[in-house]
Amino acid sequence: MKNIIRITIGLIITCVMAGLVMGGVFTLTHDKKQENEHLRFQETMLGLLGFGKENPAPQDLKFLSIYRYTLEDPKAPEKKDLGYIVPVLNEGKEVFKLLIMSQEGEFKKALDLNLAIDKAMEEQERKSALERALEKGIRPSFGDTIILAKKGNERLAFLLPGRFPGFKTVIKVMLALSPDYTVKGLEIMEHEEDPGLGGEITQDYFKNQFVGKPFSKLAELKVVKEPLPEDYRKVLEATRGPLSPEQEKALAPYKDRDIYALTGATISSKAVAEGVKNITMKFAYRFQNLEKVLASQGLIPAF
Amino acid sequence: MAATTKTNSELFFNGILNENPIFRLALSMCPAVGLTTTMMNGLLLGIAVTFVQVFSSCTIALIKDYIHPRIRIPTYTFTIATWVTVIDMILAAYVPAAYKEMGIFVKLIVAFAIITMRLEIFACKNNVVKSFWDALGMGLGFMFGMMSIGFVRELLGMGSLFGYKILDFRPLLFFVLPAAGFFCIGLMMAIFNYVEFKFKGKGNKQ
Repeated sequence: MKNIIRITIGLIITCVMAGLVMGGVFTLTHDKKQENEHLRFQETMLGLLGFGKENPAPQDLKFLSIYRYTLEDPKAPEKKDLGYIVPVLNEGKEVFKLLIMSQEGEFKKALDLNLAIDKAMEEQERKSALERALEKGIRPSFGDTIILAKKGNERLAFLLPGRFPGFKTVIKVMLALSPDYTVKGLEIMEHEEDPGLGGEITQDYFKNQFVGKPFSKLAELKVVKEPLPEDYRKVLEATRGPLSPEQEKALAPYKDRDIYALTGATISSKAVAEGVKNITMKFAYRFQNLEKVLASQGLIPAF
Repeated sequence: MAATTKTNSELFFNGILNENPIFRLALSMCPAVGLTTTMMNGLLLGIAVTFVQVFSSCTIALIKDYIHPRIRIPTYTFTIATWVTVIDMILAAYVPAAYKEMGIFVKLIVAFAIITMRLEIFACKNNVVKSFWDALGMGLGFMFGMMSIGFVRELLGMGSLFGYKILDFRPLLFFVLPAAGFFCIGLMMAIFNYVEFKFKGKGNKQ
């Protein structure tokens, strides 16, 4: 009996100590960790647009975010609506509006959101703002973000953070599309594919194959099991950020080709190709609907 | 086994050669098979294991008198898990560049047999200084083992070392696959033993 009590107390003390140490370190490092992730996200966004240390971003470069939510009404659970948090111009000032529409793009409602522009990055802030605006009982769940890069009044690119299943676990990517939905760049943010095989998706010669693929090609994008032509590989490995005119010329004959699979990692290659295709297709459909609705409601989008 | 009589430097080299975790003790074979596709992986995992091993060994050596013998294994697990989590969080916050490379390795370490085994065999019977040297030797021995397997597999499987192209082609793509890890470890173990017998003679076999 005495033994059991001693064991119990010993285990409790160990757990409490371990918990305290981990909790302490967590509180000390959490903010910094988030900041780092945020920084990396920003760096990737700039990198996809071709800005970096050597080529700093211009002053008038601006990122505008549209957040998509799925709204579930417990009274009609089979019908889910889409809710977009959209920055619109109201008397020259940027404010957030919540646009509610059906999956097919049919307009339902527009609500004012009490959400400051600089606070919208944080999910918690968005959620509480949504709860204040929506009717009681409707549950919003976060879908994805569309980020629009603007230079002055000119649209530079759409940046689409996305995720899709890979060979092993989820692959997280960021895709850059030009305003006519041609792929501008692809960056793999997180993945857990096998190093040396599926892990090669992070290599320039694979992910740059997507650069320059037009929207019409993306719709029927496939993966072929053929060796990558040597001259194509050389151009791909030299490509960083948006294409220069010479690179564009060198890539032109391959523009309508399918994606060459990685040696020994066909499934990972297919997963990425499918993922990019899906992200683009869904985005194009949703964004066109959104623009239509905005126009029909007479709202002036900030993007 | 009572407290060791070996000197610090003997303890240190013991972990690297005589009791090399991979080639001699044949512990932590899962990472040795699964993660040694490149030399870089071996190096990063080795660094991570060395840190966790040293911190855990020292902690256990410090508190060994207070651990009830019947709950020592859970206590070891808690200790390792705590250190792994702490190192993971600190890396993520203050050395993001290293975390990007090492993040997935650090989280794997909790389940490594070599660390628990070293705590059970050594750290709970010896003082802090001795445990430190033993842990450092074991960690570096592990790193040495992982890197030498990685060297063979990366060179044969991908024709490169540390990610730099050495050969223009991939001699044996098969060596990147997990199954080849078994072949590679078996061969390396044999070579390791052969070399040691050559130098010390069979009589010294422990």
